[in-house]
Amino acid sequence: MTISRWSNFRFSALKRQNSLLSIFDKLIFILIFFILVLAIFGNFLAPYDPYLVNLKDSLLPPSSEHLFGTDVNGRDMLSRILVGASSSLLSTLFVIMFAALVGVFFGTVSALGPRWLDEIIMRLSDVALAFPALILSLGFAAALGPSLRSAVIALALTWWPGYARLVRTYVLEIRHKEYVDAATVLGVSKIRLIFKHILPNALVNLYVQITIDVSAVLLVISGLSFIGIGAQAPSAEWGALVADGRNYILAGWWTVMIPGVVICITALLFNLAGDALRVMNDPTLARKGEK
Amino acid sequence: MTRFVYQRLAMVPLVLWAVATLVFFMIKLIPGDPARVAAGRSATIEQVEAMREKLGLSNSLAEQYLSYLSQTLQGDLGTSIFTFRPVIMDLAQVLPSSFELVFAAMFINVALAIPLGVITAVLRGSPTDLLLRVITLIGATVPVFWLGLVLQYSLGAQLKIFPISGQKPSGVQIERVTGMTTIDALISGNVTLFFQTLHYIVLPAFVLSIAFVAVTARTLRSGMINVLESDFVLLARAKGVSRVRAVIRHALRNAILPTFTILGMQIGWMLGSTVLVESIFGRQGIGSYATTAVLQKDIFAVISVVLIIGVVVTIMNLLVDVSHRLIDPRLRISTGAK
Repeated sequence: MTISRWSNFRFSALKRQNSLLSIFDKLIFILIFFILVLAIFGNFLAPYDPYLVNLKDSLLPPSSEHLFGTDVNGRDMLSRILVGASSSLLSTLFVIMFAALVGVFFGTVSALGPRWLDEIIMRLSDVALAFPALILSLGFAAALGPSLRSAVIALALTWWPGYARLVRTYVLEIRHKEYVDAATVLGVSKIRLIFKHILPNALVNLYVQITIDVSAVLLVISGLSFIGIGAQAPSAEWGALVADGRNYILAGWWTVMIPGVVICITALLFNLAGDALRVMNDPTLARKGEK
Repeated sequence: MTRFVYQRLAMVPLVLWAVATLVFFMIKLIPGDPARVAAGRSATIEQVEAMREKLGLSNSLAEQYLSYLSQTLQGDLGTSIFTFRPVIMDLAQVLPSSFELVFAAMFINVALAIPLGVITAVLRGSPTDLLLRVITLIGATVPVFWLGLVLQYSLGAQLKIFPISGQKPSGVQIERVTGMTTIDALISGNVTLFFQTLHYIVLPAFVLSIAFVAVTARTLRSGMINVLESDFVLLARAKGVSRVRAVIRHALRNAILPTFTILGMQIGWMLGSTVLVESIFGRQGIGSYATTAVLQKDIFAVISVVLIIGVVVTIMNLLVDVSHRLIDPRLRISTGAK
């Protein structure tokens, strides 16, 4: 197969995948992109200083001046949510990326390495997976001292075994495929075999899980912040915002309502995106009505 | 079968040991002086020194680990710096209330998820299926703590359908027998009081269950779809079995086993989620105990909660595995498969 034919083939496959994405799916990906932009540039986009206390403007309802109202300290809720997006979402993405990297490493080692190492890694992941992630990271974060950084480290430490297990399954599935045997026969080195032939195909399936997990990690991080073990005042992390507002819910419902809706929408979008990716990987699911 | 039970039982101490070791590492992670932390903020220098002696911090790491294991085995999880009682006593006090909440949430989970799973599988691809699945998905992505606050505000404070917080009408004394308020109310023979306590548990249990309903319904749905398309269901229909009977008697009975496994695992996860629910609804339990411990910087109490939940999760998984085998004869053949 010549190079040009190979690239042609890839292109048509891409086009085929593209047509599988409904308009609805495309909208989801656009919205996610939009949220990520907000998370990165939130600091610049915030119309007011998110930390400036102004008791004169305490608990103003949503208006054209303050789109999402103000909190008890007179801080603009929109600005706080924008700034909070960077702490909530970027820390979530960090957890996922760290966990995925560690998971891919241990999963590959587990699948291709010696049997005793496989046993150790898998039994370790048994214990970690049986544990509610919220509780395990609660313990780690409590030990490290309450802060968003602790919550992120704690979650990163507890989240990888799931990925290790997935990667192990995928790698085991792929290593016995004919094209891997063919590459081995052709004399491809073991390292190249792993990185060029096995992992890229194994990781295609991992993307789905990673995307869905963004919503799960986001919920745990905001939960940890809500109970006071994650982000600390005056941080505008979304879960901390809900916690800030909870005592004033009768006087200003928006201080609780809006951050919660924002968390929910973000989590929902990543969940739907994961489903869309799943169908893209396995179009038979669409026919089964899985989507 | 008995061999399998013994094998699984033999795994339990191993897993518990792993959990305890994990918790030991958590304690080692505490920055600064753990003796200072364990003794509490207001401790005098002598108290800190006494605590250092008690924790054996002057010994080597291996010695510390061994003494920690033997202490944990004897149920000594340290003393709470907030309640000044042994943590294990505190936990024994609050755990039944959490179990009560988890069981109530499990009941709601099953009552909602099984019909949802069956209906969406039978009507797969229809607008009803899509609508129901979107609603359950939203349920799975709502932050639990936020849903609690919103329902407390709307259904409790505004519409006054449910009590806002607590677990029994104020001023009422219920003699503690099991530690579960509803059961204790029933034991006391006061039926009105029983329904009142039940009224208190509905909202927190619903909030706790919602995130799990989506997972349960989804598992059941995909299992049901597979079974509904299998030949034996078609044969049953061809032989004149009614559609409802084919779905309930033939398909559901075969599709529900993976759902049972999920439900069993969810008990441990739900117990973990009580951390987000109990304190909002002012309920006693391991979750609100952990939340208070976090706020009081009672780190050893927080870590003990991790240990206890780990033990509960391990026992639950054992029960699920064993009962799964008892229910499904097919599994007994393939013992030892990886």
